[in-house]
Amino acid sequence: MRSGAFVDHDADAHERAIHARETASDRPGVAQPVPVRPVPKQPWATIAIGALVLSALLLGGWEWYWRDFGATPGIRNSDGLWAIQRRRIDNGEGDATVITASSRLFFDLQLDVWETLDGRRPIQLAWEGTTPVPFLEDLAADPKFTGRLLVGVAPELFFSGFAYRGKALKYARDESPAQRAGQWLSMNFVEPYLAFDEFDYALGTVLKRQAWPERPGKPNHLDVRKLAVTEADRNTHLWSKVENDPQYKALMRQIWEQDFVPSPDDPPAEEMAKERDVQIDRAVKAIATLRARGVQVLLIREPSTGPYLEYDNRLFPRASSWDVLVAKSGVPGIHFEDYPQLQGLELPEWSHLAHADAKRFTAALHEIVVREFWKADAPRAAHHER
Amino acid sequence: MVFNSLTFVVFFALVLGIHSLPLPWTAKKINLLVASYIFYSAWNPPFVILLWVSTVVDWYAAQGLVKARRQAARHAWMLLSVIANLGMLAYFKYGQFLVDNFSALMASIGIAWQPAHYDIVLPVGISFYTFATLSYTLDVYLRRALPARNFLDYALFVTFFPHLVAGPIMRPTELVPQFEQPRRATGDQIRFGLALMTIGLFNKIVLADSFLSRAAEKVYDSDKIPGTLDAWIGTLAFSGQIFCDFAGYSTTAIGAALCLGFAMPDNFRFPYAAVGFSDFWRRWHITLSSWLRDYLYIPLGGNRHGARRTYLALMGTMLLGGLWHGANWTFVAWGGLHGLYLAVERWLRQRYSDYRPSPAMFVLLGLFTYLLVNLTWVFFRAKTFGKAWSVLSGMVGMNGGAKPILETYYLVVVSVIVAGIVLSHWLMRGRTLESVITRTPAMAISAIWALLAFAIVAAQGSGNAFIYFQF
Repeated sequence: MRSGAFVDHDADAHERAIHARETASDRPGVAQPVPVRPVPKQPWATIAIGALVLSALLLGGWEWYWRDFGATPGIRNSDGLWAIQRRRIDNGEGDATVITASSRLFFDLQLDVWETLDGRRPIQLAWEGTTPVPFLEDLAADPKFTGRLLVGVAPELFFSGFAYRGKALKYARDESPAQRAGQWLSMNFVEPYLAFDEFDYALGTVLKRQAWPERPGKPNHLDVRKLAVTEADRNTHLWSKVENDPQYKALMRQIWEQDFVPSPDDPPAEEMAKERDVQIDRAVKAIATLRARGVQVLLIREPSTGPYLEYDNRLFPRASSWDVLVAKSGVPGIHFEDYPQLQGLELPEWSHLAHADAKRFTAALHEIVVREFWKADAPRAAHHER
Repeated sequence: MVFNSLTFVVFFALVLGIHSLPLPWTAKKINLLVASYIFYSAWNPPFVILLWVSTVVDWYAAQGLVKARRQAARHAWMLLSVIANLGMLAYFKYGQFLVDNFSALMASIGIAWQPAHYDIVLPVGISFYTFATLSYTLDVYLRRALPARNFLDYALFVTFFPHLVAGPIMRPTELVPQFEQPRRATGDQIRFGLALMTIGLFNKIVLADSFLSRAAEKVYDSDKIPGTLDAWIGTLAFSGQIFCDFAGYSTTAIGAALCLGFAMPDNFRFPYAAVGFSDFWRRWHITLSSWLRDYLYIPLGGNRHGARRTYLALMGTMLLGGLWHGANWTFVAWGGLHGLYLAVERWLRQRYSDYRPSPAMFVLLGLFTYLLVNLTWVFFRAKTFGKAWSVLSGMVGMNGGAKPILETYYLVVVSVIVAGIVLSHWLMRGRTLESVITRTPAMAISAIWALLAFAIVAAQGSGNAFIYFQF
């Protein structure tokens, strides 16, 4: 068969291929010939150089714009980054202290401070906007995990079962070699150098948050903006812009306030109570499995303040949520309202601690945990195991 | 690995670099074969075994076909290939579906039988490479082609990474001859290939993933009942998304192959400007529709045995074509509707063979085709018939009192992009991309190329799999 893939030597054939190329649909019931794939006559070298220069200029301008906004290059809090931390348990660090939580313990617990006091750096498995219950179940089902577990309880998420980043678990289980390689390449060769490489600055996200006119019956919803800065081992703290830029801080508060106002789309109270009980039962079951394996589990209700605290309490009052969870699970719980040293801290947007106070919080929490619980609870866990 | 990933960028740069080294042609082909296996195993290494099984079975089946003296032996070799390939497909893709339907059938006659859950992972691209290898044996069986002269060329035809997991579905006669002679891409072919890859990735990362997918998800993946506007916008978003996703993949694949010096066939020809459904299927997923025509519709009798047999062959082909897309009755319904449209169109063409539409009527017929294509996409996108009916009810205005689902942003963005797609398809209807590029000023090509590249990077694609990988 003649090899006719490129027909640049034949001007007529080239023109035919350019303007009226046949496809397999024009040739029924026969062996299909080698396809024709002509290259349009253009100065491609000049075009490619021009495109390269222009795209470099556009990307340079985009990078400058975001740096001017206050962004700095950093590590993306991606599913792949979480999977790296989750694998540590499978790869010989199953006896470590692990954190599973929503954004509060994620942003508030500073791994470096904890490491200084404890001698060992915890594994951070928390997710923003996401209940830790499925992750708790995942750890309970993993016999390799035998360490200590800090479970953050942000009422709005824990007792509703809401999981904004819930797909991360499946991602980590199914992660392909190609995805692992991509994560490694990205966090070593792209993310540390480009400020615009951040979910909040993606083109679609930026376009969506413009001031679009409201559709009657469907008000525009402000999506959560960039709140925190993450390091390679997921040590995370509140972004300085939230603390220092009054406009940005006000925007963050405005975003939370959208949820504080009851909406007709909210589930009815009975449904929420039912869901709360389901989540408590799931957590209790997972904790029982962990305890049976000798894992020390500690529940932590991290600080919130102002309208957010009112919202937390209105949505899931302590007596019917936190207290029930602690009682049913049989593990100790630290509620920030019970400890003066965990209060009086700065929460710029009512939900997460300022970086400096997150360090103070971590130190105070560590002291409470070690003094009152780890040592006291160890015999109980061992007894449970027997 | 997926084209829209950093891993692929590095992989492709390495492959291009190695392929341009002054090595013997056989060494280059071995490199491409090894690279293709790496490309495939980067998803799930054990599944490479399936690829090998498919490759080896069809190689020996084709050899057996050539050596066979008796017709019965030829049948046996052909059947071996068909059973091995379709058997793999049946087990991995349709196993759970068959078991579930058998269970439902038993339940309907009062026998309670609860099968164990299969929990089988679908090997990526199995529907594509089984069809490619099948076409190899079937072409030899039908005496349309001779087997490849050596195993390396044949194995590379099956495995060549640009087409491996989502097509275009290559025929052996299209690709094997290209491996027989040394070939090297010229500088212009590499640059044009890269431009095609940019266009393909822009379609996938920017249009499909960043701007269209979310609106479709909000309508189709929620339990809310959509009103007329939401049902239409959600469905139009999906029609744009699936085109950009799949045509984007095909264009990237064609560009990647071109950079390496190989030609792959067109898989899409501006399908949303189709006038009628036979025209639509000459423009949409061309390599699948022509495969089904050559290896299913024609062997079933085609149009050579009277009207009744023709309609049966048409419906059978489209129903199976629907099922090829996924193990769900909604896909069968989608294929069945397309079969019905094709049958009605065939009848109308015969009944009114002298009819020639005016230009205005031509456009109206095109828009009517697009309308029906969209209504039919509902079955393709909805996971259940219940959801499909809910969306269709919304589209015809029967969900009165439904609360709005999509914010203004989605209404505007989907409308603008989908209108742009449909308009561009009509403008390009009788043309090729190459013919337009030929007449475009070089500076404008540079600017457009740069804008597309910028949008791809700024959109920050999260490496979402292409929709057709699941088929």
